[in-house]
Amino acid sequence: MKMTGKKEKNLKKRLIRYIPLYIMALPGLLYLFVNNYMPLPGLVLAFKKYNAKKGIFGSKNVGFKNFKYLFATKDAFVITRNTILYNIVFIIVNTLLAVFVAILLAEMTSKLKRIYQIIILLPFMISMVIVSYLVFGFLSNDNGFINNTILSALGKEPIQWYMQKQYWPFILVFVNAWKVIGYNCIIYLSAILGIDRSIYESASIDGAGKWAQVRKITIPLLRPTIIMMTLLAVGRIFYSDFGLFYQVPQNQGALFAVTNTIDTYVYRGLLELGDISMASAAGLYQSVVGFIFILAANLIVRKLDPDNALF
Amino acid sequence: MKKKALATLLLAAMLTTSLAGCGDAADSTPTAGTAEKKEEASAETKEEATVETADGELSLAEQAIADRKAKAQASGEYEKVVVSFFDWTGAPAGLDRVNAKLSEYTREKLGVDMELLIIDAAAYTEDLKLMLSSGEQVDLFSTCGPGYMTCVNNGYTADLEEDGLLDNYGAELKSLIRTDYLDACRVGGTLYGVPPIKDYAIQTACILIGTEYLEGAGVDLSKFEKDDLGYNKATWDDVDEMFAAIHEAYPDKIVYSTQDNLLTQGSCVDNIAGDYFGCLLDPANSLEVENVYESDLFKEWADRAYRWNQAGYISGDAMTDDNGASSRIKSGAYMAMMAQAKPAYQNQINGECGRDMTIFDVGDAFMGSSAVSAFPWCMNQATEDPIAAMQVLNLLYTDPVVANLACWGEEGVEYVVNADTSINWAEGVNPDNSEYYPNVLWLMPNQYAAHVWEGDPIDVGEQTAAFNDNCPVKSKALGFTWDNSDYAAEFTALQNAYKEFGPQIVYGFVDPETGLKQLNDALYAAGLQEYMDAKQEALNEWAK
Repeated sequence: MKMTGKKEKNLKKRLIRYIPLYIMALPGLLYLFVNNYMPLPGLVLAFKKYNAKKGIFGSKNVGFKNFKYLFATKDAFVITRNTILYNIVFIIVNTLLAVFVAILLAEMTSKLKRIYQIIILLPFMISMVIVSYLVFGFLSNDNGFINNTILSALGKEPIQWYMQKQYWPFILVFVNAWKVIGYNCIIYLSAILGIDRSIYESASIDGAGKWAQVRKITIPLLRPTIIMMTLLAVGRIFYSDFGLFYQVPQNQGALFAVTNTIDTYVYRGLLELGDISMASAAGLYQSVVGFIFILAANLIVRKLDPDNALF
Repeated sequence: MKKKALATLLLAAMLTTSLAGCGDAADSTPTAGTAEKKEEASAETKEEATVETADGELSLAEQAIADRKAKAQASGEYEKVVVSFFDWTGAPAGLDRVNAKLSEYTREKLGVDMELLIIDAAAYTEDLKLMLSSGEQVDLFSTCGPGYMTCVNNGYTADLEEDGLLDNYGAELKSLIRTDYLDACRVGGTLYGVPPIKDYAIQTACILIGTEYLEGAGVDLSKFEKDDLGYNKATWDDVDEMFAAIHEAYPDKIVYSTQDNLLTQGSCVDNIAGDYFGCLLDPANSLEVENVYESDLFKEWADRAYRWNQAGYISGDAMTDDNGASSRIKSGAYMAMMAQAKPAYQNQINGECGRDMTIFDVGDAFMGSSAVSAFPWCMNQATEDPIAAMQVLNLLYTDPVVANLACWGEEGVEYVVNADTSINWAEGVNPDNSEYYPNVLWLMPNQYAAHVWEGDPIDVGEQTAAFNDNCPVKSKALGFTWDNSDYAAEFTALQNAYKEFGPQIVYGFVDPETGLKQLNDALYAAGLQEYMDAKQEALNEWAK
């Protein structure tokens, strides 16, 4: 592209004017470069049989053999299905709940608001390992709250929770929502608080009730945030929260049909095998598919609502 | 437009973040660099050494030491050999002091500094792999953690016999280890590691019951005969009787502290190549690879576990409890467990369980194909000075001073020596406040070069050697190894199939009548036959 003298001058002016901003961005960009771009050549590892003696680039080329591992067994279908379906459900449930809670908090005038916020956020700060034991406190056979207090009070037979897979899709969705909505709702809450209050005032003067205000003002103005958050989540649709799927079901084999995802499968397999190349292949596969998904999702958004597309 | 492109690029970068770890881990440039350096160094040293021997003054080993000392004198700095292994609590507080003591000794003896790099067991595998693939200095390491075959397959390990390394610089070490044990560590004919000197045989299926519970239940121990190791010989019927008695006497306590060790510690089935998907059921006599989960032996164990579970001997939370069996007994809520025994096991298990345990020997002694090659000591292929590393390894195996420092710490600080050469805690020191107590004797190169703990027989080394030599069930496949990376997909599928249906059987939560069929169907669907055939083929090839 050829630049006219005027444009060049403008550019120069702009660059000088924004120098402080560039300096501010520098550490972040540097981090991005070191952490995300420098290791990119290492991707070739996915196509090699790694040998420490020969190094990454000297190792033997094996083509797509490392990827075969992900697709060769009948588990491939189960793990892909679990990963995608759980993520879709998480995206829907978590978004709905987070927006709902954010609106409730925004409308709240009580002095306890801060405390509610902290309480809702707290689960997000807890490590999954601890969450898994909280869940275990409810579900344990010998001492669990549900078997020994609730079910026995109702005169029902105790349930062997960790051996019966039909309950786990619900348990996992519930635990995930409990853990993450606090964090998501902060993002929505800040977006809501950024909405000009005068819009609400004029709406209430015109006779709009709370429900109408939420429907006609809050949700439409939240849409860009919701779309962005959803797009980001869609980009990670091929990743799963390892802690949630590995720690919370206590790594129980009897539940694999509903708890095994790509991440746990790869972890279990490669922990034993210790093969760096296959781990890279799995990571590359997840990244590429995630990238395609997010481009596709963005394309759809751009068709429907060009203003809110990410790019 | 530009903005969009930038955004796309950023997004792509964000999504590949997860790969950063892999890239970092395997950054090869330094490794390649040091490898070259190593070649140079060894070629150089060799040349010099050969020249000197021709003069007939010094042996190769002595010459290498003299050269290093001269170099150190000239530069004022000693080269360092780093030795890594794990313990249970991370680097001990007194590690620097012990390392200083070690270096003081090895400077004089070998002209090198020596550093122990002790890493928490939970982090050891990952940390070691990072160090080995990133070029950080670690010269000698225990493969207990990452696994011997993994290290060999990834090319982390050096050939210990290259240019006569072992013969010239580790002669005493070599003479200490029986040739067939050494051969058991060869992979494709190459020796990548030397086994720690320990009990390779195991006394399988020993039931351990807290002595206080037996006494409380009034169990008469005088009817039991003693086996060769001095433990009570018992049958499964005896065990059932005793379990019933202690269950009745202590209804609030759980009888049996389970773990998934029926096959590993409770049978003489040989899990050739490191997994149970295709085993030798009669390893002393036959090299036929069979499915153990269809065997009578496994059925018998499964029935027993189911019976015990039905009788209420097993905790309802056994499946999800991943505490060690002995630590549960230590907690006081459990009374018995099954493990493998060996000479001088009594002290160890009493310590682990925090109480006096009575040992009942129900099974046979057994030495499996991977018993010797389970976790040999290896040398990093990128080691700058393999000769110095080999000489340090030699000292670790043969020198009491080095072995004692590495195993027990400093005399007078951590421990004191009794009149009969056994040792005990120094004044005021105990396992909790000791500044150096790795407590991993079994993985040390040669624990018998060090002192014996008070209460264990002084001649435990000879007893163990005899126990190994006299083992009645020795696998014919001793030393067989197999790289299963071509069957990685099958292996993972088999593991998942086992995890889905196996543990419920092992812990007795499912009737073996239905459970065993489910398990075997799942295993065959996951490709068990193919996997076993591949193993059999490799085994036949090896046996030729």
